[in-house]
Amino acid sequence: MDEDDEDDYCGYYDNDTDDLDIDKPKKSDDPEYFEFDLLHLEDAERLLNEEVEALCSKLKIDPSLAKMLLQVHGWNKESIIERHIIDHGKLLVDSKIKPAVKYKDTCFSNYRTCPVCYLTVQKDQMYSISCGHQFCKECWDSFFQIQIQQGITTGIECMEKDCNILVPEDFICSALSKPDFRDRYSTRSFTDHIEGHPQLRFCPGPNCSVIVRAKENKAKKVECGQCKTIFCFKCGIDYHCPTDCGTIKKWLTKCADDSETANYISANTKDCPKCHVCIEKNGGCNHVQCTKCKHDFCWMCLGDWKAHGSEYYECSRYKENPNIANESAHAQAREALKKYLFYFERWENHSKSLELEEQTLLKITSRIQDKVMNNAGTWIDWQYLLDAAGLLRKCRYSLQYTYPYAYFMEKGARKQLFEYQQAQLEAEVENLSWKVERAEITDRGDLENQMDVAEKRRQTLLKDFLEI
Amino acid sequence: MAATRRLQKELGDLRKADLKTFRNIIVDESNILKWEGLIVPDQVPFNKGAFKVEINFPAEYPFKPPKVTFKTKIYHPNIDEKGQVCLPIISPEHWKPATKTDQVIQSLIALVQEPEPGHPLRPDLAEEFTRDKKKFFKNADEYTKKHSEKRPTD
Repeated sequence: MDEDDEDDYCGYYDNDTDDLDIDKPKKSDDPEYFEFDLLHLEDAERLLNEEVEALCSKLKIDPSLAKMLLQVHGWNKESIIERHIIDHGKLLVDSKIKPAVKYKDTCFSNYRTCPVCYLTVQKDQMYSISCGHQFCKECWDSFFQIQIQQGITTGIECMEKDCNILVPEDFICSALSKPDFRDRYSTRSFTDHIEGHPQLRFCPGPNCSVIVRAKENKAKKVECGQCKTIFCFKCGIDYHCPTDCGTIKKWLTKCADDSETANYISANTKDCPKCHVCIEKNGGCNHVQCTKCKHDFCWMCLGDWKAHGSEYYECSRYKENPNIANESAHAQAREALKKYLFYFERWENHSKSLELEEQTLLKITSRIQDKVMNNAGTWIDWQYLLDAAGLLRKCRYSLQYTYPYAYFMEKGARKQLFEYQQAQLEAEVENLSWKVERAEITDRGDLENQMDVAEKRRQTLLKDFLEI
Repeated sequence: MAATRRLQKELGDLRKADLKTFRNIIVDESNILKWEGLIVPDQVPFNKGAFKVEINFPAEYPFKPPKVTFKTKIYHPNIDEKGQVCLPIISPEHWKPATKTDQVIQSLIALVQEPEPGHPLRPDLAEEFTRDKKKFFKNADEYTKKHSEKRPTD
């Protein structure tokens, strides 16, 4: 919420409002910075109507036609006006609003046979849109009802074979005999308009009716203020940087196709590599210590954790067989599967860790409660731990989405750099995770330092690889 | 109602037209929504046989498209083992209520005689068709002789 004018100390807070929302990303140094507004349905409706009206008055056309033009041209008013000035007739033909050649009715009789239902009716009972193809009112009505049932509204075309002229809204509404279909038409066509508008997007959250508006149609992070869903503005699925929209779709499709193959990975337990006792992972951190023999190992690769120090963290990098091109097709297929499973395992593991991190958060909250009760610091003293858990979540999320990126990346110096930064981030995130789970004192210096390092690593990676 | 009236008219017109390539139209009096007919191609490699097809019209016809299924096995890139055909003119997104069944049948015959390997239902046959047309023709010819219906003699 913005500060309102009712504040008596007017001006006192105005100069440095930045201080009040430290967490808000700033344009200059944040690669994830994105400006957007959250709108209610009515606001969005008003916004669209304003655009329609503006075009109406500019081109002197009716709203039904203006809506069609805007929808066909992705709500790019400037381009429509420009093309209108050059050649209005051609604009309408190209927009599937007017036919290149109109169908001519050469029959002199006062009766016509509807080509759809074969009923013969009086001439004036036949109706047509700009293309001239005539059909009876009942057929138009039935046709529109079935189209609307199938979810088609702004794209309804003439009923004639090979005629692709679009039917305008006012024609549809006057032909529809049932009021509930008219309502369904207007609801559904509103959805079409939002979906066709590059600056607007429905929040994908379940049962959420918020509409996001952003000036630029970019693959950036949007958080819905109502349902808290975080998603990508460009494609509407879970936010996925540094991976781009196309790549993440490819990755998710691959994961869905290969889900059987990858299923065996989804185990929550592994054996300690040293004493072989069965260990269940109950926190997000991948630096695991065996409860029995105290051996420190990596949950991902089961190697000694000592080898996971920040400079030589290797666990996130897939080592391809350099000679694979000369191997048999069989070996190549096996190698391809091995490579996919390597990335999938890490992707899946971070996703699971994120779920487990929720449990960690609950544990932290109860730990803070205990501490405060025992006079070990005040509630405020312990806030930093919650901040740390929040930051950890953010870093792990980015980290999860680095794996699809790396999987599809071509070999070379850029991939080397990416994997280097990814490894750095991995190491710092695991350090942070370890520290968050074990923080016992209000000494925040060490943890805050770790937070800073982890976030810097994340920012560096995004700055170098977020291609927008 | 609209469906019945229109289908009766279409059926009458089609029987009157007496096409060489689409014959033996059988429609059960009690159910006009289901037609059967015999495709009789006049071009290689399917001109040695005939193929039974079934056309099913939905109750919402002509606002929803009919479905066409092959009842006779055919060696064709665009017709799968179950007899399903991929015919754009009757796909839900292309369907127009003013399209006549006669036009659907013409389009079906055209597809049978000139396979479209670009959108195959059987990729293996599509590949053979593009790579080695001679071999495809030979296989299709043999398959037709073995599996297809007898051609009408008149």
